Amino acid sequence: MDRIDPHELWERTLTQVELSVSPANFNTWFKDSAIIKIEDGIVYIGVPSQFFRDWYIKKFNTLLLKIIRDISYEYRNIEYMIVKDVARKSKEVKKVARPTVELPLDDFYINKSDNLNPRYTFDTFVVGSFNEMAFTAAKAAIERPGITYNPLFIYGDTGRGKTHLIQAIGNQFKKLYPNRKVFYLTSEKFSVDYLDSLQNGTANRFKDKYRQYDLLIMDDVQFLAKKDKSAEELFHLFNSLYDNNKQIIFSSDRAPVAIADIADRLKGRLSSGMTIDIGEPDAESRIAIVRKKVALHGITLTDEVTEYIATAVAGSIRELEGVINSVVCHTQMKGIPPDLLEIKASLRSFSRPQKTVSVKHVVSKVAEFYGIDEESIYEKTRRREVVRPRQVIMYILREDFSVSYPTIGTKLGGRDHTTVIHSCEKVKREVGSDTELAKEIQDIRSLLV
Amino acid sequence: MIISIDKKELAEAVSSVSRFAERRSTTLPVLAGIVIVAGDDGIKLRATNLETGIDRKINGTIKDPGVVALSANTLREITSSFTGSGQLTLEHGGDTVVITTGTGRSTLKTLPYEDFPILPFPEATAANFSISGSLLKNLIGTVAGCASPSSVRPELGSVLISAEGGVIKAVATDSFRLAEKKITIPGLNSQFSFLIPAKNALDIMQTLPDEMIEVRSDDHQCAFSCPSMMLTTRLVTIAYPDYAQIIPKSFVTDATVLRKDFESVLKQSAVFSDSFQKVRLGFTVGDKKVTIQAQNNDVGDSSDSISAVVKGDEIELSFNFRYLTAPLSLITSESITLSASGIGRPLVIKGVGDASFLYLVMPMNQ
Repeated sequence: MDRIDPHELWERTLTQVELSVSPANFNTWFKDSAIIKIEDGIVYIGVPSQFFRDWYIKKFNTLLLKIIRDISYEYRNIEYMIVKDVARKSKEVKKVARPTVELPLDDFYINKSDNLNPRYTFDTFVVGSFNEMAFTAAKAAIERPGITYNPLFIYGDTGRGKTHLIQAIGNQFKKLYPNRKVFYLTSEKFSVDYLDSLQNGTANRFKDKYRQYDLLIMDDVQFLAKKDKSAEELFHLFNSLYDNNKQIIFSSDRAPVAIADIADRLKGRLSSGMTIDIGEPDAESRIAIVRKKVALHGITLTDEVTEYIATAVAGSIRELEGVINSVVCHTQMKGIPPDLLEIKASLRSFSRPQKTVSVKHVVSKVAEFYGIDEESIYEKTRRREVVRPRQVIMYILREDFSVSYPTIGTKLGGRDHTTVIHSCEKVKREVGSDTELAKEIQDIRSLLV
Repeated sequence: MIISIDKKELAEAVSSVSRFAERRSTTLPVLAGIVIVAGDDGIKLRATNLETGIDRKINGTIKDPGVVALSANTLREITSSFTGSGQLTLEHGGDTVVITTGTGRSTLKTLPYEDFPILPFPEATAANFSISGSLLKNLIGTVAGCASPSSVRPELGSVLISAEGGVIKAVATDSFRLAEKKITIPGLNSQFSFLIPAKNALDIMQTLPDEMIEVRSDDHQCAFSCPSMMLTTRLVTIAYPDYAQIIPKSFVTDATVLRKDFESVLKQSAVFSDSFQKVRLGFTVGDKKVTIQAQNNDVGDSSDSISAVVKGDEIELSFNFRYLTAPLSLITSESITLSASGIGRPLVIKGVGDASFLYLVMPMNQ
């Protein structure tokens, strides 16, 4: 006979009891009880007070005995004990008193009328060389909204702080011009809103709603790809706001020209103002970010811990924030910030498998895409139809998979690393201006995923 | 069941019994009700919320015995609206009870009384003594307000009742301040101590009559009984903190002030206290005064002093003014002594000539 542990036996008993008594009875009498121990076939049930013991003996003894006998004949009898409050408490989830800093509730507070999260402000925004341009442009844009940079288009990879920056613009705008209207939304919300208005036959109200804003902030416009109707609606909305000198701000994970599947006329409008990208944060900026974020929670880390976190957590700032939150949690539980050893231990759970790829795989996919022979990539030929794909391969290996320049050179038919650097720079330059190329690279990337 | 009861007596009984009915609606319906039992022992009203319970006798004539449970809220609202004196009749039939007064008639739905729990009456294994109701109410009622309202630490949410050498002590603390009340009962030889949840204690003290009460308890349950009623409560079975060791043995400064003066000055300073409700007490020996200061960046500041007899060193301490005002209503003497035991150490407040009550409060960080 398997020995069941008391907790499991009680759970199984409760499922049976629940079927035979009314919910009110069940909630009143069984919520705070538990099996304390099983000894010599006698099951000891711990109850909170004498009220409970008397009632169990009078009303539920037969029922409970029958149920536990059904589970196993091993159990001969039930005894009821009034358990000390301590014993009962320890079974509940331990509440750790946090005398130090509480997480401020307004972290989760979002203003309904403008959708802005007050947590995102310029004060909490860490400026480094990678986002300096974007930050300055954002500041300039709200100095003279609708005139200096309209529209302002900010793009960059996920977790680089786009949303923070554009929401900070909104919050600052609110502060500067209390009488004007701001609205923040994602393109996805926009398109859902639009479809709803079509279904409810309130399309006109939809148009009016968005045309009233003095500052419209739209996050993640790339999701409008392939949503032709919503994109068209945005096009009209854009024209109307733009003509009235209302400021419009967009964010996206790629440059306007590189967004596939949206109409050219909208693309043109998106890039007609100021287009800025937020690059990858450099090491100093990452350290500054870690410092600032932990300082917001009133915690100071030693320099070596800060540096370790900044360098060890690869990936976006968002992942960095995740680690920082766990540091904050750790500090609140234990009362002291973690040291280097503890950080190393806890970061193990955050590290993720490195994105790796074989060069051969990339080469074959790109060759296939351009419809050329795979072998020709490795050859020393300088035919135009081969040179372009080869450069694209180098660019992708470098940008997406961080393969070193010399390695790329060796793998692609023993080329010098300066050749590789030149090719990467060239493609990088051209992606900005050459729509065709940008689209090709985008499509290749989707093939490689 | 058919019974007839005096209107006023029922109204009074129902209002005291309904205090013990469950107020939350999530549990058994009958716990939100009052059970009326008409049998050989006369008419009894019972209610319980599984923490505390009451069984109260009421005068009346039984024409036909029986048991019925009625919603405590409804019953209380009906009976409290009765005017004039006279008898009323309760008649139970089917799932309703008809209440007939001289002129009116109301019909109430009953609750299923079968689920009503047994009120536990403890064996007198741990404690058994008799005390007059008014003394007991004074003893427990004085300190119960100082217990912690939170249930995180059940022992701090309780009142400690302990007896040794003919003296009964009641103690309550929320870890910021502590109140202790002592009463001498001649002829009490037993030694015991138990913890009553403060909320239950207050409910019971408000209900007990002034006549002699028999108190008996075992490890888990305590009952207060007199001929007209029996009240019972669950006990907390955690060790109480050793509070005697935090009461200072010696003091650096003693100040005697008039209670009324101190109260009015505190009241005025409270207006200027900050979000931590902080006021500063300063004891000056030379000028023979106690100064009370408060400062709030949004409101302003104030400073006032009262004449006092000050002995010892000059000292300044900060307190939450609520903790300073709380004991003033519990002390009956005209003048009180404030005894400070040093920076960051507790202040003890006592009534002059009253050794039965002691109040201790911790200062705030400077």
